Amino acid sequence: FTEMPTDNFVESSFWNFDALFQPQQHPARDQHDTFFLLDPAEAPQLPPGYTSKVKKVHSQGGYGSQGYRYEWKVEEARKNLLRTHTTSASARALFRLARQEKFTPVKYFSIDRVFRNESLDATHLAEFHQVEGVVADRGLTLGHLMGILRQFFTKLGISQLRFKPAYNPYTEPSMEVFSYHEGLKKWVEVGNSGVFRP
Amino acid sequence: DEEFDELCFEFGLELDEITSEKDIISKEKGQEKAKGASDVILYKIDVPANRYDLLCLEGLVRGLQVFKERINLPRYEKIIPAEGEGQRLIITEQTAQIRPHAVAAVLRNITFTKERYDSFIDLQEKLHQNICRKRALVAIGTHDLDTISGPFTFTAKAPSEIKFKPLNQSQEYTASQIMDLYRTDSHLRHYLHLIENKPRYPVIYDSNGVVLSMPPIINGDHTKISLNTRNVFIECTGTDITKAKIVLDVIVTMFSEYCEKPFTVEAAEVVYPNGKTHIYPELAYRTEKVKPEHINKKIGISETPSSLAKLLTRMCLKSHVIGNGNHLEVEIPPTRADIIHACDIVEDAAIAYGYNNIQMVIPKTYTIANQLPLNKLTELLRLDLAAAGFTEALTFALCSQEDVADKLGMDISATNAVRIANPKTAEFQVARTTLLPGLLKTIAANRKMPLPLKLFEISDIVVKDPNTDVGARNYRHLCAIYYSKSPGFEIIHGLLDRVMQLLEVPPNEENGYTIKASEASAFFPGRCAEVFAKGQSIGKLGVIHPDVITKFELTMPCSALEINIEPFV
Repeated sequence: FTEMPTDNFVESSFWNFDALFQPQQHPARDQHDTFFLLDPAEAPQLPPGYTSKVKKVHSQGGYGSQGYRYEWKVEEARKNLLRTHTTSASARALFRLARQEKFTPVKYFSIDRVFRNESLDATHLAEFHQVEGVVADRGLTLGHLMGILRQFFTKLGISQLRFKPAYNPYTEPSMEVFSYHEGLKKWVEVGNSGVFRP
Repeated sequence: DEEFDELCFEFGLELDEITSEKDIISKEKGQEKAKGASDVILYKIDVPANRYDLLCLEGLVRGLQVFKERINLPRYEKIIPAEGEGQRLIITEQTAQIRPHAVAAVLRNITFTKERYDSFIDLQEKLHQNICRKRALVAIGTHDLDTISGPFTFTAKAPSEIKFKPLNQSQEYTASQIMDLYRTDSHLRHYLHLIENKPRYPVIYDSNGVVLSMPPIINGDHTKISLNTRNVFIECTGTDITKAKIVLDVIVTMFSEYCEKPFTVEAAEVVYPNGKTHIYPELAYRTEKVKPEHINKKIGISETPSSLAKLLTRMCLKSHVIGNGNHLEVEIPPTRADIIHACDIVEDAAIAYGYNNIQMVIPKTYTIANQLPLNKLTELLRLDLAAAGFTEALTFALCSQEDVADKLGMDISATNAVRIANPKTAEFQVARTTLLPGLLKTIAANRKMPLPLKLFEISDIVVKDPNTDVGARNYRHLCAIYYSKSPGFEIIHGLLDRVMQLLEVPPNEENGYTIKASEASAFFPGRCAEVFAKGQSIGKLGVIHPDVITKFELTMPCSALEINIEPFV
């Protein structure tokens, strides 16, 4: 897996949410869960052609989708924030891949800091790290995703795994990965995954 | 219980907790108060955010029963009443400014019991919180149709002109009085701001001037639903027409089960200001054609088209094979507003097949792996700094304004810092522009450790940068501090020399690094130097100013080094 550049804590709502098909009225974009920026408040530049494509998919649909059918506002996408997940870096990486002249299969990873506007307690911090992996190739299936996850977790010493259907705005199908914790004697969630929406 | 847990897991729900009313009250208020509370087992189930049809018991049970093939998915029908007999909701142009859209429907001859009634109210609340975004996008009002008579008018009037008896109150109030009345209500006060400062408030009347409701705040008492209600008029008003339609579809499909003619809904007509009319609820059934081989390929299984059709039907997506077996026609019912693309259908097929039944394979993708050069350099330096006797620290990237400015003797505007708009505490006001405060705070928290304390951190700082597409960027800094009875300037200087040696940067001006004496507010005057390399200033080192030391609640001398390592990648 090749490491993706993730050295930007500040991200625009566009890359963090809109390009990942997260609707503009989604609760996660609320003041409560995301750190929005006072200064710089708005991203000066958004990729022009791509932005209009994203607008169309949200408001009317496209690529086989019905879309969300609401009025998509570019001002909302410009709002700067501290990224809530490293998937925004994955989106950027995939965008760069798409602009390559010839498609080459890739495997990307990153391990970096993310920020969520939460009160601190025993199990929550406002800043924490995420491990993210992306595989792009022709003919990949859900079975492949499960295979990679199993290998990854086995290397970490976690081998008892179960997969549960889940929901992410940007992946469909989505799966939460659960592992049996011997100490707590129950299944705990160890990861989230999915196949990116077309 | 385990069986139900398994079922939920397979279906995609999370069985959060198995408890009872008694347990809940015990935990919150103590065992005394719990005496007499119900012992009946309650399941707390977590429903995914995009499945509005599973938000009530009726929908959940229906979904699970179809999944287990115990029942067939009911067919939801809308009945269009004869000309002139149906209910009409007329929207006037005044609503355009504040709440332009409305949809309506009627549930005829419905029978309520206490559980069904509670479930009905509960579903409205859940929808309000979820898809309606706390009533901002859509507000639901349900009324006893026998207490009012249509046609109904949805308009907007000045607050002083609206007067009615709100739900469960004993007297009439004007709209402005209602605002004041509910200002302290723990539930309703959160919605007041949606209409409070507008010149006109939305209101729905019947043909006799009886107020049905003032969305999104409260319904009128006159039309309140009781266990004896037989006919229900439902109206959803809002700013997003797509969501209003979805909400209406969900409510009527869920509760039409209890109508005399089960799963039938009586349509209502909505008249727009421009004269156009529309029949609601839409209850649209959409069909999508998918290729069975496409589904098989995406999941990694190989099922026959007819078994795929069976799997999808179990997920409430009635399907059958068409053509000569290479297409499936999938019917998407109005309860599944979350299906917007073929990939959603693929996911449902996978869920019905059972995620854990899918064979796990490794992709045959061959790629050559690379570490990002900046991270590789960081890792190497970390090892060597630790070898030099310094301990690594990992500190927060967010801090207070004082940490990066006042405590270091600088003005905040000079720091070019990125500022947060909505911090929960003062500790997260800005993104750090220097690693120094983090390390100083770490020392302050570890004063009891034996001296000397030698810490380092190699991590990102954030500054504003108008040249990037978002307006800010990260720089990878290396910061080391030495805290002891004597400042240890020579030790920090030695560390810089060691780092440069590792980076193979010679100590001369033309093609290497040099240090020149300089001044900085955070450092002791006369004991501060600026580091130059690769033609630019990359950082500073020196003895920390006593003021700074005191402001960070420390008592011993301290010297520090901070440089940007990106030029060396």
